[in-house]
Amino acid sequence: MTQVMSDRMNELREVVAEVLEVEPEEITETSHFVDDHDADSLRAIEILARLEKMYKIEIPQTELPRMENLRAVHDVVKQYAGWQD
Amino acid sequence: MLEYAELTAILPHRHPILQIDRVLEVEPGRRIVAVKAVTGTEPCFAGLTDGLPASAYAFPPALIVESLGQAGAALWVLSARAGGDEPRGTLVFGAARDFRFAGAAYPGDVMRHEVVVESLKPNSAVMRGETWVGDRRIAVVGSMLAVARPESELAAGPTD
Repeated sequence: MTQVMSDRMNELREVVAEVLEVEPEEITETSHFVDDHDADSLRAIEILARLEKMYKIEIPQTELPRMENLRAVHDVVKQYAGWQD
Repeated sequence: MLEYAELTAILPHRHPILQIDRVLEVEPGRRIVAVKAVTGTEPCFAGLTDGLPASAYAFPPALIVESLGQAGAALWVLSARAGGDEPRGTLVFGAARDFRFAGAAYPGDVMRHEVVVESLKPNSAVMRGETWVGDRRIAVVGSMLAVARPESELAAGPTD
């Protein structure tokens, strides 16, 4: 993983941890928001809204089911923010 | 300006939980200013015993946020209608974050809520807002999330 990617992953982890009200270190790239961190659909929308504001992007709500863990969130944000790495 | 009777055509809330009295200003898609007058006859003050300190008659913070949230809900509905649309389903207050209370409202005070849109989508809205009594800012909510849920989904009970 590049430094840029790892920095971004940590930035995303902070956002997710704040919304899910858990410690950032509890969230791994593949821990499941619903099964492992008790997330529900409202939390998912909140995560999406924060990411949109933070990166000034628009993410369609149809992407919500895909955003089930940190790695998937990274991939979705990468796609809509046009990150190259 | 929208009066109480008009608010009942915008919000599903009714007495005694309809917690705004009048909309003073609205810019659809952007912001709203709404007021609620606090009185000694609020249901939350019913049955209090005599001899309590003044603080016992502070309007409860949870209801301040509810009232502020309803101003936001009105803004959402009015914004959707201005675009020839309507939020799909029942509006549900999803989350309030980063709130701070720096004062209180007492019987006789008029709370003025100023709510600003952060993001509006067909079935979710994020807003932030402040509540003022005169020139005192008594509450700030950094982020409020509301969603529109189909009736069928709500009737089915909670899901993950």
